Amino acid sequence: MSGTVLTGGQVGRSLPRLEARAKVTGAAEYTHTMRVPGMLYAKMARSTVPHGRIKSIDVSAAKAVPGVYGVYTGEDIKTVIPDPYYGPAFHDQPILALGKVHYIGEPVAAVLAADPHVAEHAAAQIVAEYEELPAVFDEVEAAEDKVLVHDELKPATTFADLKHLKGRKDTNCALDFRLRRGDVEKGFAQAAHIFEHTFKTQKVLHLAFEPHASIADYKDDGVTIYSSAQGPSFVRTEIARLLGWPENRVRIKVPFLGSGYGGKLYIKMEALALALSMLSRRPVKVALTMEEVFFTITKHPSTFKIKSGIDKDGRVIARKCEIWWNGGAFADIGPRVTQKSGFTASGPYDIENVSIDSYALYTNLPPAGALRGFGIPQLVWAYESHTDMIARALKRDPLDFRKQNLLREGRPHATGTILKDAAIEKVLDTIAARLDWKKPFERGTGTVKRGRGLAVALKAVISPTTSVAIVNVGGDGSCTLYCGTIDMGQGSDTAMAQMVGEVLNMPAETIRVVPRDTDVVPYDMGTLGSRSLFHMGHAVRLAAEEAKAKIAELRREVGEPDGSNAPLADLFQKKYGMQAGNIVGTGTYKPDYIPPEAGTGQTTNATPFWMTAGAGVEIEVDTETGHVRILRLINVADVGNPINPRIVETQLSGASLMQLGFTMFEKMHIDNGQVTNASFADYKIPGIHDVPAIMENEAVEAYQSNGPFGGKGVGELATFGVSPAIANAIEDAVGVRLMELPLTPEVVFRAIRAHNNMPLGDE
Amino acid sequence: MTPFELLEPASLKDAIALIDPDDPTVRPMAGGTALMLMMKAGVFAPTRLISLGKIGDALTRIETKDGALAIGAMTTLSKVEHSADVAKYAPVIVHTMKRLSNVRVRNVATIGGNLAHGDPHMDLPPVLIALGASVRTAATKGGRELMVEDLLTDYYETALERDELIASLRIPAQGKARAAYLKVTTGSADDWPALGVAVSLDMDGDKIKTARVVASAATPMAIRLKGAENVLTGKAVDDKTLKAAGDAACDEAEMVADVRGSAAYKRELLRIYIGRAVRAAQQADAKP
Amino acid sequence: MVTRTISFTLNGRAVNAEVQSHHNLVEMLQSQFALTGARESCGQGLCGCCTVMVDGLAVSGCLFLAMRADGTEVTTVENLATPKTLDPVQQAFIDCGAFQCGYCTSGFILMAKSLLAENPDPNDDEIKDYLAGNLCRCAAYPEIIDAVKTAARNTKPA
Repeated sequence: MSGTVLTGGQVGRSLPRLEARAKVTGAAEYTHTMRVPGMLYAKMARSTVPHGRIKSIDVSAAKAVPGVYGVYTGEDIKTVIPDPYYGPAFHDQPILALGKVHYIGEPVAAVLAADPHVAEHAAAQIVAEYEELPAVFDEVEAAEDKVLVHDELKPATTFADLKHLKGRKDTNCALDFRLRRGDVEKGFAQAAHIFEHTFKTQKVLHLAFEPHASIADYKDDGVTIYSSAQGPSFVRTEIARLLGWPENRVRIKVPFLGSGYGGKLYIKMEALALALSMLSRRPVKVALTMEEVFFTITKHPSTFKIKSGIDKDGRVIARKCEIWWNGGAFADIGPRVTQKSGFTASGPYDIENVSIDSYALYTNLPPAGALRGFGIPQLVWAYESHTDMIARALKRDPLDFRKQNLLREGRPHATGTILKDAAIEKVLDTIAARLDWKKPFERGTGTVKRGRGLAVALKAVISPTTSVAIVNVGGDGSCTLYCGTIDMGQGSDTAMAQMVGEVLNMPAETIRVVPRDTDVVPYDMGTLGSRSLFHMGHAVRLAAEEAKAKIAELRREVGEPDGSNAPLADLFQKKYGMQAGNIVGTGTYKPDYIPPEAGTGQTTNATPFWMTAGAGVEIEVDTETGHVRILRLINVADVGNPINPRIVETQLSGASLMQLGFTMFEKMHIDNGQVTNASFADYKIPGIHDVPAIMENEAVEAYQSNGPFGGKGVGELATFGVSPAIANAIEDAVGVRLMELPLTPEVVFRAIRAHNNMPLGDE
Repeated sequence: MTPFELLEPASLKDAIALIDPDDPTVRPMAGGTALMLMMKAGVFAPTRLISLGKIGDALTRIETKDGALAIGAMTTLSKVEHSADVAKYAPVIVHTMKRLSNVRVRNVATIGGNLAHGDPHMDLPPVLIALGASVRTAATKGGRELMVEDLLTDYYETALERDELIASLRIPAQGKARAAYLKVTTGSADDWPALGVAVSLDMDGDKIKTARVVASAATPMAIRLKGAENVLTGKAVDDKTLKAAGDAACDEAEMVADVRGSAAYKRELLRIYIGRAVRAAQQADAKP
Repeated sequence: MVTRTISFTLNGRAVNAEVQSHHNLVEMLQSQFALTGARESCGQGLCGCCTVMVDGLAVSGCLFLAMRADGTEVTTVENLATPKTLDPVQQAFIDCGAFQCGYCTSGFILMAKSLLAENPDPNDDEIKDYLAGNLCRCAAYPEIIDAVKTAARNTKPA
């Protein structure tokens, strides 16, 4: 389809971001620093027990603090919102705790004051008493249903495949996804070798630098909410549902986002801000501190048991995957993570017999959601470590073994969907070539050993989802784009403007992308899962093409000859006799999709596009201390045709460095449900000294045939391969295999000592 | 944070007079970087803070006196970092500063506040102990001279009385001694240290005449490891001696487990890093 | 003296502000002067998003009591550009794509300026050591290093 579009020279430009000036001058506005006249600040009191029934909440001392406007509990919220539960997949999250608390850090009461310090001080005076209940923290234990986190499951109606869970009372399982292809037991019976391993990932979190913030200004005829939201359309739907209002009385405005990485998806602080504004009849700001973010949304820890059967020729003929996802106290989007990741849990390999069971589980921990990959990095960690372990055990070169088993174009994936436009092999070959894989490798001397590793991954995009865009050409010929994609740093505004410019033959920097405001900007499902460039890209392209057709019509109407390049302003001038009028093009895009068959997960159309990427690393290990130094990090991805190559590169680089933190040291330490390192002082993220000495990022030459201008999403891609590539390199260097993240120096050191039969004692 | 009274006395004497030794909510404040963190975290809610920031010149001077280097307690870390005198007397301090906290903290935090805080993760105390530094204090009942190694008594605890303030730091002439500080992190590269090791060596030919060996961060406080020093004294720097010194250090040092590592692991780090720090000191330049 | 009126120079202009003892510099700049380029993120002086220059020295505004600004010269990121021009550091950050979400960018730019004032031609290690106290969750570090070097080249005296 893109081949028919006139080339305007905009696609493929490495244009600086449209908002660059606002960001370097400090002028860019974020919700966290916004103020509204008359605004009150909210501060929360939070649960101190991991699981318990609320016996009492004493707010008297808080109310007595001078300057406090009001103190509210869940029961107060019910007076303005009778059924105050929210969430994208389940309506399981109360605005403030009701009856029961489910994790340490769950909000139980809120204080309002004009001075945030007063609110904070007063919130600390609130005393709640609980009848403590047994708690469950581990995802595999949670699956035994001995301790139940929720009394009853409350699936939202949004997802048809969750309806059967409505009202279930005996389970922590919020979704069980099953995929069956061939006969996995028969495959194991025929196999010459069987390998089974269990991998684990730890609890980490997004830590976008702008902590979550929402300001609600409730009036009887409508509500305006300013929010750091990745999906304002969803927020509007959910707020309207809580209010029992039509959506047109709910207005969500999103200024710049101090990033999100999935942590600001769906609904977060908006409902609380709304309820408090209703109760106080004042605008209310809920702006979290960084510490509070640790109790708000995290990434799923996981346990992945993977078993493979290999025939005598080295082909993987059967693979069984069981994955337990630790969703924490509220489902958030965990069921989607469970299902969509479940799709591709068997990896980028051509395997005849596949069985996948993927379980979303409630536990008494801070909730988990999507984090740059929707569960894929957890899966790749397991299957690409497993793949390397098999290759080593069979004395096969890890690259050759992968290539032998790789899923190739035109072959059915485990879902039954035929692989198309996924340059898996090219990605893998490019990594290998950059690593000079077939050449001898310097192994290091003395106590410092060197190693290298690689990994490659496949993802199906979240589907089906819808995007709508409007292109508006004004009387002076200037062009405005209305699209709901949130530019949180990934450069979407710039890419979208480039696509409009390509169609309308205008420089992208002359196109204005209007600030996100649901009163003005049409529907978009959300900025998530690397979907926007493809979905919104198509919507934007369609809107621009419609505008272009109308411009051609106007040209004819005002008597311009065919092929005339009279300026647009002249056409409007001729038609209206002055600078006036508009041409409006709209575009709606929803890809085809066939939902997976219940029980087998089979579908002939699992995804509108495949995503594939991988990583290669060279490392050195200090065997005396366990320190691992990344000498070289190579990120290779198939992004289709890069719309803005420069921004694509920074996305690859940034995503891989984020995953480097999750791989090497990031970890929420939890003691009996209590997060013990909820601050930047004790939870470390990668800094400038953590950047590998050599970083290489490459988008392989590719074209997404059904993508806008051949493009597709990129944001998550470079997270996929980093963790297993490093673990594979560690085994290559020092012969030890690590199966749980993160790969801290102590973990490496202990493994080396155990390997040398000198295990280090616990202390 | 909650409101408090901020007082800014003009002399050390006035500052001491404003301290109420019986009221823990009254505290002196130097640069305030550590205090602000405690206040923001809600672990300290002062009624009165006595800022030492306006006491002036006397407390922010760096000067040489009787062959030693004297640094006023309110001298910022960045002023110390950029001082030509410090570079001459103790280049190890300049090296240490480059990776000590960050530029903004160094621009505000003071050398006196750094020592009075008693945080075992700080980089300077082990270095100052290795250099044989001492502090001069001022107090209601009169000041005293205290070795830095005696100032730090336990985890976040110092020998200072409530109404006693550090007035200045004294670093003795180092002669031909060379010193190094190695910081070991186990999280991000710029994490707080899991272990710090400072070593000062005075060599006699290829033999160690005297060694001062100090561990920090993994230990409850920065502490001299005299067993390791004894092993090193009189020996040449070789693998066997360094291993013996590492073993001796592990025998004497108490290790504290935290998110940065178990005690057992930190002990193994210490075992290795004693030798690495000795070699680093041996190879240290006389100039920064 | 829980509340006090302080006088200082803000971006070259003499100003007064009514501040309370427990308010920090970032809060004061945002609430009384509508300057939001310095932003609180980690709240612990570790990320650098709240960087402000006080008497020519970079400080963490979130750990700096507002009252201590009395009598000082305060400069924020908003002072670097004019409506028509950008500071060479700002331009280099754009040219090198040295930011994504932009939340940490003000802090990095002020720190980079401060570095170049001390050391007009820093090497990679010097840049890393100086900027190690600024964090970027989008991890635009390679581009930031590139931007500092570019700015150094573009500001070198002829």
